[in-house]
Amino acid sequence: MLDWITGKGFRNSLTPRVCAMVALLIGTAAAQQDAGTFFKQNCTSCHTIGGGRLTGPDLKDVGSRRDRAWLVQFLQSPKAMIDSGDLYATKLQQEARGVVMPNIAGMNPQQAQALVDMISTESKLPRSQFAGMQISDRPLTDQDIAKGRLVFLGEQQLSGGGPACISCHTVKGLTLLGGGRLGPDLTRVYERLQGRKGLAAWLSSPASPTMAPVFKDHAIQPEEVLSLVALFEDSAKRGGQDDTTSLLNFFLLGVGGMVLGLISLDALWKTRFRGVRRSMVHKNDRGEG
Amino acid sequence: MNVRSQVSMVFHLDKCIGCHTCSIACKNIWTDRKGTEYMWWNNVETKPGTGFPTRWEDQERYKGGWEKKNGDLQLRSQNKSSALFNIFHNPNQPTLDDYYEPWTYDYQNLFNAPEGADQPTAKPISMVTGEYINVEAGPNWDDDLGGSPVYAQNDPNLESLTPEQREQLFATERLVFFYFPRICNHCLNPSCVAACPSGALYKRGEDGIVLLDQKRCRGWRACVAACPYKKTYFNWSTGKSEKCILCFPRLETGQAPACFHSCVGRIRYLGVLLYDAARIEEVAKLPDDQLIEGQRSLILDPFDPEVIAAARASGVHDSVIESAQKSPVYQFVKVWKLALPPHLEYRTFPMLFYVPPMSPVMASQDGGVIDHVSGDLFHDIEQSRVPVAYLAKLLGAGQENKVRYALRKQKAVRWYRRALTVGDVTMEVASRMLAEADCSAEEAEAIYQLTSLCTFEDRFVIPPMHREEAIQMMEDPLEHKASAGFGFVSAPHRGM
Repeated sequence: MLDWITGKGFRNSLTPRVCAMVALLIGTAAAQQDAGTFFKQNCTSCHTIGGGRLTGPDLKDVGSRRDRAWLVQFLQSPKAMIDSGDLYATKLQQEARGVVMPNIAGMNPQQAQALVDMISTESKLPRSQFAGMQISDRPLTDQDIAKGRLVFLGEQQLSGGGPACISCHTVKGLTLLGGGRLGPDLTRVYERLQGRKGLAAWLSSPASPTMAPVFKDHAIQPEEVLSLVALFEDSAKRGGQDDTTSLLNFFLLGVGGMVLGLISLDALWKTRFRGVRRSMVHKNDRGEG
Repeated sequence: MNVRSQVSMVFHLDKCIGCHTCSIACKNIWTDRKGTEYMWWNNVETKPGTGFPTRWEDQERYKGGWEKKNGDLQLRSQNKSSALFNIFHNPNQPTLDDYYEPWTYDYQNLFNAPEGADQPTAKPISMVTGEYINVEAGPNWDDDLGGSPVYAQNDPNLESLTPEQREQLFATERLVFFYFPRICNHCLNPSCVAACPSGALYKRGEDGIVLLDQKRCRGWRACVAACPYKKTYFNWSTGKSEKCILCFPRLETGQAPACFHSCVGRIRYLGVLLYDAARIEEVAKLPDDQLIEGQRSLILDPFDPEVIAAARASGVHDSVIESAQKSPVYQFVKVWKLALPPHLEYRTFPMLFYVPPMSPVMASQDGGVIDHVSGDLFHDIEQSRVPVAYLAKLLGAGQENKVRYALRKQKAVRWYRRALTVGDVTMEVASRMLAEADCSAEEAEAIYQLTSLCTFEDRFVIPPMHREEAIQMMEDPLEHKASAGFGFVSAPHRGM
């Protein structure tokens, strides 16, 4: 009896501690394992390892350019580093033509350490898995543009299962009323992201807070990326400005539609009851009764 | 034969003094709640006049009641497809202005107004919006031909008159009006029930009272449009429609409805009629000139053994049959043929009947002598200030002879009583009048008794309602047997 009670008491006091330790171990392991995935999801839209610069610099052998402490600190808050007047950080910003690296959700000292480790490991490989996507250099044809158009409009579903671009974005001249207005206008995105390579990298792994969770598990496939790049290149070449007129058209169409709707409703219920007493009395006041 | 019982009513217009006590009794009991301020389940109109809501009898615009189309009976306000199409916008709704915007007065101002040169006044405040309003109309704006001549001259019933008659009606020396109290008619063929998309309206099986289930009502207001008498009202606060319930809680406890009970002129009679429900549709399709006889033929003789047997077979209780035999309404409507239904041409078969009012004769002045006597004993019915054609439009579905019959009989009874009590008319003349008016001396005596000397018990023959049996039509009385009481708000369960 006594043994049973003690035994129970022992187990009771031990269990939470064991659980906490196990959780901690699993947590750490997961964080380390995740460095590759984390990089893929959060970094590849701007960085490569040995693939040349995109928006941000090529990170191959970054450990030899700055020391580890600097890198870990920069990773946690790039903007604070630039604001503090750090010369190298300011130089990086200039090289990126003013684009500031955003604070990454889920970044912490452990994660930063793991990332730096992972980057140095990858840098030693003859060819890193993060050397950037191998987008074809072949000249883009009208066929690519037409396919990009279908993908953008959602007439051809993305094979990864992601939503069509038009639900949040618009490109001038593509549709009568333009597309969605949640995301930025993509008419000149080809120029903003500096051509085929940058655009393809972004599309392969969109990193903005709105797009990332949507496309995390529904990546856009390379051949679709190529078609979309073709479409954006074409639209930038046409030299259109961002589409502001369609917003006005949309508003005017709404007003016009409402007026037309009210007129047709009035006609539809033309014989409706409109009140008796007031017209009866006023008719008499006017001397027609 | 499908015999049913119906609590029916007679209003004796010749006795109505237009005091509105009935309206106030009803308002104080039923429609003093928020959202019901504008409703008058009972209202008293002055005729000629436009009534409440304004010109409610103008079905060209209000689209109430039934019409015959291709030999079939159809609602004027909607058919199945138009009801569905218009479900979110019913185009035939009366506006609040056609009723009136209910108001009270800013009485506080009488006490709180700052000192000034003039007496403070209590300005009218809308009971709908709470804002000050300029009162333009009320439920009785044309009471006693008041308000303005506009109202009386726009009475839809005047269409039956010649221009000459119309002019005479409003000539100062010949001016005349009478009162027309109205409640829900609890019709045999109610268009409000037919129109309801939610099935919220129903005619109570045991006594024919038309009720509106507040739980099932979805506020589509199809009943408001469909009732030609405009006796269902929309409560803007609860979002449901409401109507006269014939004070059924009072009837079930053996009391007359509030408006009946409080009637100063004792014009109201209430009693059971037995009718043949199987023939309603057939009769409702008759041409206008046969409608009155048609409705009378629906009402069955409660003394006929065949009718009694059929009534028993369809579940009418013996005590109700007995009550039907004593019904004053049966006497007025079927035996004496004095009482007539209002606007039967709407084909809803109202079960509230009116005894048409007598009116003063047209007087002609000839050299200072006012002359209103002629050789014809019934001259003053043709010459009466309210033209028979007008009454026929209102109460006779256009049939002047039905109204004339009722007026002549009333007049004969008066002369008969005059011969008996005053003696300035010989009984010989009175008897001739009775004979011409299709009335025996015994009948005249009975009419006199029920018109002038009637007691509470004579006027209101309220049948025992037998709710305990009637409820079986709707619910199973054994439903809760072997279960706990009235059920639980939250059922008990084991454990803590």
